Amino acid sequence: MPRLLSTALSLRRDPRLLKIPPYISAFCIAIGVVWLLLLPLDDYSRRTYVSENALLPGQVHTYFGGSEQSIFRAFRHEVDLLASKNNFEVNDKLESILTGFGVKVGRQNYTYHSAGEIYSGENVYGILQAPRGDATEAIVLVAAWKSIHEQLNRNGVALVLTLARYFKRWSLWSKDIILLLPPDSTTGTQAWVDAYHDAHDSKYIAPLPLKSGALQGALAIDYPFEHRYHELHIIYDGTNGQLPNLDLINSIVNIAGGQMGIETTVQQMAGHTDSYQDRLQTMLRGMLYQGLGYPTGPHSSFIPYHVDAITLQPAGEGWHDEMAMGRVVEGSFRSLNNLLEHLHQSFFFYLLMQKNRFVSIGTYLPSAMLVAANFTIMAIFLWVKSGQPIAKREATDKPKGDISEGKGVSTTTPSSPPTVERNLLSPLALVATCHSISAIPLFVFNHLGIKTLPLAFLLFSVLSTALPAIFSFVIASVQKPTAQFFQLTKSFSLLILGVSLATLSTLNFSLAFLVGLLASPLTFIQPTKNLVTRLFLVILLIITSPPVVISSAAWTSGVTMSEVLKAASLGWNVWGMYTPIIIWCVWWPAWLIGTTNTLSSTFKI
Amino acid sequence: MRSLLSFLPLIIPSVLVSATEYHEQLNLRPLPLSALLASFNFRANTSIADFEAQNFRLFPRSLGQILQYAGTRELHLRFTLGRWDAESWGTRPWDGTKEGGTGVELWAWLDAETDQEADEKWLTLTNALSGLFCASLNFIDGTRTIRPVVSFQPEGDHPNTTLDNTRLLHGVLPHEVVCTENLTPFLKMLPCKGKAGIASLLDGHKLFDASFQSMAIDVRPICPSEGECVLQLEQTVDMVLDVDRSKRPHDNPIPRPPPGRDLICDTSKPYHKPDDSCFPVDHLRGQEWTLSQIFGRTMKGTCPLTDSETPPVCVHIPSTRDIFSSEGAHEIKYPNNDSLRCYHIEQEKEFTLILTKPEVPADGEAASLGIVKPETPVLYAERSFTGHGQEHGGVQAILTNPGDDTVEFVYMESLPWFMRVYLHTLSARISGSSPNTNTTTEIVKQIYYRPALDRARGTQLELLVSIPPHCTVFLTYDFEKSILRYTEYPPDANRGFDVAAAVITTLEPKAMNIRTTSLLLYLPTPDFSMPYNVIIFTSTTIALAFGGLYNILVRRMVGANEAPSGALKDKVLGFVAKLKKKKTAVAAVAAGGSVTPATGKTGAK
Repeated sequence: MPRLLSTALSLRRDPRLLKIPPYISAFCIAIGVVWLLLLPLDDYSRRTYVSENALLPGQVHTYFGGSEQSIFRAFRHEVDLLASKNNFEVNDKLESILTGFGVKVGRQNYTYHSAGEIYSGENVYGILQAPRGDATEAIVLVAAWKSIHEQLNRNGVALVLTLARYFKRWSLWSKDIILLLPPDSTTGTQAWVDAYHDAHDSKYIAPLPLKSGALQGALAIDYPFEHRYHELHIIYDGTNGQLPNLDLINSIVNIAGGQMGIETTVQQMAGHTDSYQDRLQTMLRGMLYQGLGYPTGPHSSFIPYHVDAITLQPAGEGWHDEMAMGRVVEGSFRSLNNLLEHLHQSFFFYLLMQKNRFVSIGTYLPSAMLVAANFTIMAIFLWVKSGQPIAKREATDKPKGDISEGKGVSTTTPSSPPTVERNLLSPLALVATCHSISAIPLFVFNHLGIKTLPLAFLLFSVLSTALPAIFSFVIASVQKPTAQFFQLTKSFSLLILGVSLATLSTLNFSLAFLVGLLASPLTFIQPTKNLVTRLFLVILLIITSPPVVISSAAWTSGVTMSEVLKAASLGWNVWGMYTPIIIWCVWWPAWLIGTTNTLSSTFKI
Repeated sequence: MRSLLSFLPLIIPSVLVSATEYHEQLNLRPLPLSALLASFNFRANTSIADFEAQNFRLFPRSLGQILQYAGTRELHLRFTLGRWDAESWGTRPWDGTKEGGTGVELWAWLDAETDQEADEKWLTLTNALSGLFCASLNFIDGTRTIRPVVSFQPEGDHPNTTLDNTRLLHGVLPHEVVCTENLTPFLKMLPCKGKAGIASLLDGHKLFDASFQSMAIDVRPICPSEGECVLQLEQTVDMVLDVDRSKRPHDNPIPRPPPGRDLICDTSKPYHKPDDSCFPVDHLRGQEWTLSQIFGRTMKGTCPLTDSETPPVCVHIPSTRDIFSSEGAHEIKYPNNDSLRCYHIEQEKEFTLILTKPEVPADGEAASLGIVKPETPVLYAERSFTGHGQEHGGVQAILTNPGDDTVEFVYMESLPWFMRVYLHTLSARISGSSPNTNTTTEIVKQIYYRPALDRARGTQLELLVSIPPHCTVFLTYDFEKSILRYTEYPPDANRGFDVAAAVITTLEPKAMNIRTTSLLLYLPTPDFSMPYNVIIFTSTTIALAFGGLYNILVRRMVGANEAPSGALKDKVLGFVAKLKKKKTAVAAVAAGGSVTPATGKTGAK
C-alpha cells in the first residue's frame, strides 16, 4: 500500500500524465455508446416482474360482456349523433347520461394561450363514488373526445360510459372512480390535473367543482376506429421523460396477454421479434420520446404529479373487439383497486426493450454519466494546463514540469515550479455573455405567434452561425487572444456542460445522453493554424449546431419546421416541458463558445 | 287501544320517561335512485338508583360497569363507514347527531377534578371500550385526544354542580375499519340480542355492504320534570342500502350483465333494436322491494321487552304507493303526515313488507318516482387537500348555505401533530368575491386554537363561522408536513396518513351536525430498503478505507536487521510459555475426566 501510494505520488509529477485526459475523454464517450448498445443483450437487460404483490394482475374473473354490448352500441350511436356538435352540447349530453347512473358530474372551463393560438374547451368529468369508500383515494379513467391523432374517439368514449354504468353495480370498489372526458388529448387533461392539485393559473383555468381523494392511477383509452384490432399499444411516456411505475405497465401486459390473449406492444413496435435489432430499436425510440419530453397522450399530464398513468391504444387488424378492451380495463381497475399503498415498489426509471424486458437506472445510467464525465475531465485538464508556463509545456520531456496545480497538494513538494497567473476576467466574461444571450432564443421561441415562428427560426439559425465569427472578431480586436484565454473559456464552458448533463441524466437520461453525444465534438475542438483542419472543424461544428440538428431532425421525420416550433411552444406553455431550456441554455451556449474558439485564430490581428 | 294510538301525533314519541323501559323502532325512507335509508333505534332506560346499585336490567352490565369504573357521566361512541351523499339524499338522519366521522369517534364527559385525572380515566375508558367493542380504541392516545370547547354540549340533564367537575374529551380514529366484529358486541348489548324484533334484520353482510352506515351508542342521564332521573342508553344504526345490490341473492352476489331481454331500454331512440342497441333507462324504474329481500332475512316478531305503544316499523313514502304487510300486522296512518305509515306487529310472528312498483312510469323527476322528496340540508360541507409535493399542503373546506337564513356553526378540526398548521394563512372568502378581498373577519367570528406539540398532542381548531344565505364560503389554510422518525411510520407508510373528519355543529337556524369526509395525507416517505443499503455500503467503504489507512499510519517498514530486539516481547512470550507448561502439568496431575482442567487447558491455548 505505501509503495503504491509513493508510486502514485511520483507519477503525479510526470508530464506524460498531462497527455492522457483527451484520450480518457474519448474513451468515456466510446464506452458510453458501447454501453448503451450492450443493454439489449440478455445479460444486461432483465425480464419484467410484478413487484407489488397487492396488484394481483389477471387474478379476477372479468364479467364485462353479454348484454353490456347492446348498451355499448347504444352509447356509440349517441356519440355518433354528437359528432358534429360543439363542445358544450357534447358535454350537456354526456352529463345527462352520467347523472342517469348516479354519477356526480362536474365541469371545468380552461383556456391556454400558446404560439398566438388559443386552446380552450370544457372538461366534463364524473365521480363514481366508491360504495363504501370515504373519498380518500381515486382512480381515473380517461377518454378524450378527440383521440391522439385528432379523430373522434367514438369507441373510447362509448366504452367509458358503458364501463361507468357497469362499475356502478359493483360494491367492491375501495377507491372512487373518476371518469374524465376532456375535449382533446392534449390540453384538457392537463388543465384538469393541474386544477385537481390546485396548481392551475386561476385566471385561465377554472377550479374543479367536485373533487375526490388522492389519485392512485389513471388509464386512458384511445380507440377511435371501428374495425377489430390485433394488439394493444401501451403508451407510457410522460411529460419531460418521466415514466409511470413499471408495475402498472407490467400489470396491463399481464392482464391483456395472460388473461385476455391480446398482444401488447410498446413504442409502436408491432411484430416485435425479440431480436437484438428490435430491442435496440424499441429502446432508441423510447429514448427519443423521453428525450423530447413531449407528452405522448392524455396520460402524460398525470405523471408529473406522481400519478401513474398510461394510454391504451388498440392497433392492427385482428379479432379482438371493444368488449375485450372493456375487460382489460375492468381487470386493470380491479388490480388498481387492490392497491393498499400508492404504487412505489417497482421502477420509475427504466428503458423498455420489449413489453417484458427492461433495464433499470443502475444499469443504464453509467452510459450517460460517462458521456457527461468526458466534458468534466476535459474541463479539469484545461484548467490545469492553463496554469502552466507556455515554454515549459512545449519542452515536455523536462522532468520539472509540474501539474500539481489542479490537485491542490503542491505545497509540500520541494521543487515548486512557477505557475502562470490566470487571467480570468475575459474568459469568464465571454462565457457569461454566451450563457446570458441564450435567454433570447428561449424567450423568442416560446412567445412568438405561429405565423412569425418559422421566420424567427430562420433568422436565428443565420444569426447563430454568424455569431461565433462576430464574437471572435470582437475578441481579436479587443485584446490579443492567448492560448490561456482559449483554454479557460473552453474549460468553463465544458465544466458547465458536464455538470448540467450529469445532473440531467438522473432526471431525464435520454435527453442528457442525446445532448451529450451531439455536443461531444466540443471536447476535442481547439484553435489550429492548419486551414484545412480548421475548415473541417467549422463544418463539423455547424452540422452539430442546435438549429441545424433540429431542422434536419424535423426534415428526417417529415414534419415541417413550423409544426415543430408550434409543438415546442405548446409544450413549454402548457406542460412546462424543459427540453427548450436544455437546448437553448445548456447546449447552444456551449456550442457558441466552442465555435468562437475555433474561429478565433482566423481573426488574429 | 289501537284507535287511541293512531292519534299519536309524533313518529318517535316524545321522551315519555319511565324508570325502566325499552323501545325500538325502524324507519325506512326510500331515497333517489336505488337508495334506501334504514334507521334502527333502540332505547333503554334504567333509573340512576338502580344503576348505582349495580342492578342492571335493560342496561348492559358490561358497559355499565365500565362507565362506573371510569367515572363517565355521558358517553358517545360512533362507528361509521362510507359517506352521506347530501346532494342526493338530503338531510342526515337524526340531523346528523347520531353519526361520526369515518372510522371510530368517541367523546365523553368524565368526572375529574384535574386534567391529569381526566387523562387517567380516559385511558381506562378507551382501553375498556376497546376490549368490549373489538375496536382499536386503545390507540386513542394523547395525540388523538382533544378537549373541544364549543363544539359539543352535553345532551343529558346534568346538575350544574356535577358538570363543573367533569371534563369533556374527544378522540377519533379515522383509519379504523368498521366491520362485523364491531356489530356483534353492539347487538349483544340489546335486550333481545338481535334474536327478535327489528334487530333480527341486522345482518353483517347487508349492513357492511351499505353505501353508508353508522352505529352509535349514547349514554346520558335524563331527568324529567317529575319523577326520578334515569340513565338512558340509546343505540342507533343508520344505513343507506343500495336496493339493487341488496336484492342480489346471497349465494350469487356477482352483478353479471343481465340477459338482453331483461334490459330496460328507451324504445323511443331511433337506433333502438332489441339485442343490438339499447339505451338503458333503468334508473327511471323506481323502487320495488320486500323487507326480507333487502335485509336478507325476515323480521322475527317483536322483542317482548319493548314498549307496546311504539310501532316498531315505519315507512316514509307517499300515500299513493302501495305497501303490503304480512298477515297480523296492523297499519297506522297519521292524518297530519300522509307520507308516513307505521306498523304494529304481533309477537313471535314473522313480518315482512312488500313495496310494489310505482304505477305510473316516471318521466325523469325524482319526486314523481314515488318517494318523499328529501329535505334540503341546512349546509353542504366538503373538504379536500390542495397543493402537491412533499413539503407543504393546504386544506380547503367548501361550505355552502343553500337556504334563506344565515347559518351559524362551529367548525372543528382535530389534526395530527405531523400536520403543522399555519394559522396565519387561515382565510375565508365568499365565492364570487376575488381571492384578495379579505372577508375572513366577517365570516369567522371566533377562533379557538390549541397548537400541536410534536409527538404529544394534535392541533385543535374550532372556528365560529357564519354564512349569509345562498352563499358558498371557501375556508382555507396551509400546513407543513413534518418528517417522521424512521420508526414512526406504520407498515403501510406509502398509503398515507388519515386525517379525521371535520365536525360541523350548526347553531342557527337549527342545531345539527355534519361531518366531512376524512382525508389521506401523504408525508415524505423514505424508501425503507434504503437505510439497509446505506448501512451496508458505508460499512464496506469504512472497512476497506480504515484498514488501508490504519496500516499506512501505524506500520513502519524497516529492514529485518534494523529491527529493535524484542526484549519485552520475548519476556512476555516466555512467561506465557511457562504458564502453559504449568497448566498442562496441573492437568496431568488431576483426574482425567475432570472438567475444570480441561477448560483451563483450552483457555491457555
